[in-house]
Amino acid sequence: MNVKVGEELPDLVKHPTTRQLVQYAGAQGDFYEIHYDQEYAHSVALPGVILHGLLKAAFLGQLVTDWLGDRGTLKTFEVSYRGVDVPAHPYRCRGRVTRVAGNEVELEVWGEDETGKRTTVGTATVGLPD
Amino acid sequence: MTTTASVIDRLKSRIGVDGPAVMATVEAGHVRRFAEAIGDPNPRWVKEAPPTFLVALAPVSLHLAEAEEYGKGWLNGGNRFEYFAPVKIGDQITATGRIADVYEKSGSTGTLLFIVFETDYVNQRGDLVARLRGTTIRR
Repeated sequence: MNVKVGEELPDLVKHPTTRQLVQYAGAQGDFYEIHYDQEYAHSVALPGVILHGLLKAAFLGQLVTDWLGDRGTLKTFEVSYRGVDVPAHPYRCRGRVTRVAGNEVELEVWGEDETGKRTTVGTATVGLPD
Repeated sequence: MTTTASVIDRLKSRIGVDGPAVMATVEAGHVRRFAEAIGDPNPRWVKEAPPTFLVALAPVSLHLAEAEEYGKGWLNGGNRFEYFAPVKIGDQITATGRIADVYEKSGSTGTLLFIVFETDYVNQRGDLVARLRGTTIRR
């Protein structure tokens, strides 16, 4: 696998909708009202219903697995949620290679809102075959 | 009336104590619905589970009722997955979760309560397939 430090992963742009939040709530089994009930979301001082942090993590997981293909295996995947995101706005997932050491590759990954603010940041490590 | 301090003390007393084990089969239909929900059409997910699927298999960052005495809402702070073996369709996974840490921190909007959960996922052969650490915040 020919991977170099600084290499960028192809961007993955998602277009989350309220419908997708409901779909995700069902698939994950997370029925916290802030993800589908506008009135409830406002009552806890949110701008409206917000994306599940783990949905944004799943988007970033797809960014990595799309790039990786069958060239290696995911070893660790870590994300921190730094800001809230609302549906009906594009969510851009990006990443780059930060370290290559033997069979191990480290990636920096992040998700940006449409203003370019990184609302989710994370890292991943992948193992390459011997 | 319950004080904030006693909520924290009660949560802290559970650090490192395993919750009940939850057993679940990785079902093709569930994985398909999960992949559809995240909008990931990768054909790989016909045979194996996408990286974050384990959170759908068994409750992990539990919204503990007793922590709800603190603040007014939940936030997800972050998640860390460590993978040791692939999770395939048909696998029978046993998830065991515990509180790993509890601490308070001052933020721009006031004091927050951080609860760190750790969950181990073991397959039907007894292999640890993944470990998840999730930080949940009461605000």
